[in-house]
Amino acid sequence: MTQMLSRRSFLKLSSAAAAVASLSSIPGTLGALEESQKQLKGNAKYTPSICEMCTSACTIEAKVEEGKGVFIKGNPADKSRGGKICARGSSGFNQLYDPQRLVKPIMRVGERGEGKWKVVSWDEAYTFIANKLEEIKQKHGAHTVAFTARSGWNKTWFHNLAQAYGSHNLFGHEATCPLAYDMAMDDIFENGISRDFGKAKYIINMGHNVFEGIVISYARQYMDMLAHGGKVVTLEPRFSAMAAKSTEWHAIKPGHDIAFVLAFINVLINENLYNKKFVEKYCEGFEELKASVAEYTPEKMATECDIPADTIKRLAREFAKAAPKAIFDFGHRCGFTPQELELRRAMMMCNVLVGAVEQEGGYYLNKGAGFYNKFLGEGDAKAPGLKKPKIPAYPKIAVPRIDRIGEKDNEFFLAGKGAGIVTLIPKATLEDLPGVPYRLHGWFIARNNPVMTQSNMETVIKAIKAMDLVVVFDIQVSDTAWYADIVLPDTTYLERDEEFTASGSKNPGYGVGRQKVVEPVGESRPGWRVAKELGEKMGLGDYFPYKDIEDYRLQQVGDNVELLAKLKATGSASFGVPLLLQDKKSVAEFVKKYPSAASKVNEEGTINFPEKIRLFSHKLEEVSKKGALSYEPYKYKEADELYFVNGKSAVRTNGHNGNNLWLNNLCDDAGVWIHPKTAERLGIKQGDKVEVYNKYSTQKGKANVTKGVREDTIFAYFGFGHVSKELKRAYGKGVNSNALYASFVSPNSGMNLHVVGVKVRKA
Amino acid sequence: MAKKYGMIHDNNLCIGCQACSVACRSENKIPESVYRLQVWVNGPTEYPNGTLGYEYHRQSCVQCENTPCVSVCPTKASHVNEEGIVLVDVDLCVGCLYCIAACPYQARYVHPVTKAPDKCTFCHESRLSRGEEPACVTVCPTDALVFGDLNDPKSKINQVRSERVTYRQKEKLGTSPKMFIVPNHKGGINS
Repeated sequence: MTQMLSRRSFLKLSSAAAAVASLSSIPGTLGALEESQKQLKGNAKYTPSICEMCTSACTIEAKVEEGKGVFIKGNPADKSRGGKICARGSSGFNQLYDPQRLVKPIMRVGERGEGKWKVVSWDEAYTFIANKLEEIKQKHGAHTVAFTARSGWNKTWFHNLAQAYGSHNLFGHEATCPLAYDMAMDDIFENGISRDFGKAKYIINMGHNVFEGIVISYARQYMDMLAHGGKVVTLEPRFSAMAAKSTEWHAIKPGHDIAFVLAFINVLINENLYNKKFVEKYCEGFEELKASVAEYTPEKMATECDIPADTIKRLAREFAKAAPKAIFDFGHRCGFTPQELELRRAMMMCNVLVGAVEQEGGYYLNKGAGFYNKFLGEGDAKAPGLKKPKIPAYPKIAVPRIDRIGEKDNEFFLAGKGAGIVTLIPKATLEDLPGVPYRLHGWFIARNNPVMTQSNMETVIKAIKAMDLVVVFDIQVSDTAWYADIVLPDTTYLERDEEFTASGSKNPGYGVGRQKVVEPVGESRPGWRVAKELGEKMGLGDYFPYKDIEDYRLQQVGDNVELLAKLKATGSASFGVPLLLQDKKSVAEFVKKYPSAASKVNEEGTINFPEKIRLFSHKLEEVSKKGALSYEPYKYKEADELYFVNGKSAVRTNGHNGNNLWLNNLCDDAGVWIHPKTAERLGIKQGDKVEVYNKYSTQKGKANVTKGVREDTIFAYFGFGHVSKELKRAYGKGVNSNALYASFVSPNSGMNLHVVGVKVRKA
Repeated sequence: MAKKYGMIHDNNLCIGCQACSVACRSENKIPESVYRLQVWVNGPTEYPNGTLGYEYHRQSCVQCENTPCVSVCPTKASHVNEEGIVLVDVDLCVGCLYCIAACPYQARYVHPVTKAPDKCTFCHESRLSRGEEPACVTVCPTDALVFGDLNDPKSKINQVRSERVTYRQKEKLGTSPKMFIVPNHKGGINS
């Protein structure tokens, strides 16, 4: 849990933090600049924008106050978030002023990781990178440089640059976070899906901690649902804030979620609790599913997952009874396992089996413009799509990608090319991968911190050290930047405009992206500009046919000036009315608004699913013989070891906000959770300094002896134990969970494991 | 009738996320070394029946009606305004710190710049005067904070108080805080 500080230690800590901060003067940081260059110029009125303190991308409004501070609040126009904001979001402007923040390009002058830098001009930086990239292209081929960019804001720019340069090795952060469930959705529904938490009556939650890894809209919906008498059952190895708010908590054995879900499905089918009509009409592969889960009885699986068979049966019955207002939450980041894809598919199938899809309080298909327009007849106006500037064809590449996405029958074929399997980069650098006739020699990393966010930090660092070129574009000298050749200063989210975004929930939506609240501090530059300028330096200017971001946005909306004006003024816009295909009332409202849609309505007053929902995957069967669900026992730890799992803290969620002054002050050294019986056996007392260790790493932390964790499990928060010495507040404090994890890459989904065996001793 | 401002902190809805304490810091420009408001997350703690839970303690001024801090102030720097909010007039303060010693809720601190005691004012200076709610209430993601006029029978705070059991910190002292707490009703979960 967030360890709040006593007044005394708070005072001590804060003065220490202030002292460290004032000493920060490495070249290129804001702290090293003259006072006169630190003035803020910006908008004194509230500007609608999007938060970037984590990846939830909540809507905000921000303004500059008297040229000094920036005040950030939730965007009141956004009903799903109610104008609210979390602690991370409120701390956003600490990034802007942080003396430890990077505001000039810096180049490595010592060994990688030695921390010796010199300031260079942007032009020198571009020249250096362009020359190095050209050198690698001549020597090994452009495809040997991997380009990683965080989803949403930098992908457009840097993936464009990558492909223009001649590399198809494009990656996002997905394989360290949401990739498996994104792939599962596509496989089962041919579409993205969301969960209508607020209207549900019953939710099964396997470690999706919405009250600590906060997504404001989820937290509000979950709380609303609980406050109205809904029931939430949480299965998680430790007692999280989510577990505490739930109706029931079951401390499931780490990494064994899938055993529970398979038994759950077994009960739904064998006790005839599933919705036969729904399954017959809209699904395919039911018989295969029935056969594949037949052997996974609750009795058999109970010993695997450590949840009693009777409990599994009771929960399945309660869940089916609550349907369609029931959600088997497909989760987020809960104990990644070797069977990630099977796990997420199984979770989603629970909802399908009880017919809790496209109804209030269940799952719903995400309705972007393309999907929504399918149901609109000729006579009705269509939801607008956003356009992209026309660019020349990219150079063709004869060799496969390192993850071989795009090749027929390859293991990761369900993954999108823009996501890629980022977790393979260290392997593809250090060893020959099957079917990949080259190794990687360069890594261009825009706002991603693989040293901190990928499992087995040691291997990631080893791979980086083996590269000919590592470029990092970030707002600070991140753990990855610490090992880079050159670090380019990105703007914080309050200093840049971004492209417009299109999305879909129950109806199509559009977002303004981020909007500039203050002028960039120092010499920081936004991604669109850096990619374009670097591209031009490399003679690839034709691939960037826009003057600036404003021009890019104009090209996106085309002649839809109305949409443009609305987005800039309010931050978001939506089209049409919410549509739930299986909800008669919603369908009636939809037809009232769009009379030509009447032809799509069936005899029951609902609309048929456009695609069959797949309970068996022919595609997966073809490539890996895994079309059906299966359980493959996996040995996470030795008999004398404990399971190690991690989770999110409400004040420091991502790899990048741990060094934020306010957030760090609230929680600067997350404890190591250990059960009283285990602690007693090991002679460890509350507050003792301990070492958590295995063959991959030894991490130091403070013991938090609590019954809120299983006897066989150790827990620590994610995002601690930073290794970049330039993150002066967060450096070396707490357990770095990813240092302890194996570099295992899950088949088909490419996810890392988040369960490993460790030992603990008094330090 | 004059307004009498009070607040409810609902332990069932609070998730200990610190959005309130950070918003307070931001709104009131609180120096790093001190705070007007924190939420102390205690737990997981074991309840007498063997179940587990978290308790969320709001550590801030509770806006007493019988104010020990005001009674001991020799210069009337500490005072209660007509809306029931306890305030400090920096110009009248002689820095004797009696008020800090007298406060049973440890809600006051010495402001490092003004050198006078400072505390939660329900954002009286910056927000109430503009017709806005305190910063902490505005941002709370789960609506665990309810703010309003205790003298208005129709206010949301009175509505919630009529529906929910509430208690106040250290009630036996007779200070009559205007900060009401809805206790955790669930009483924990089997471990």
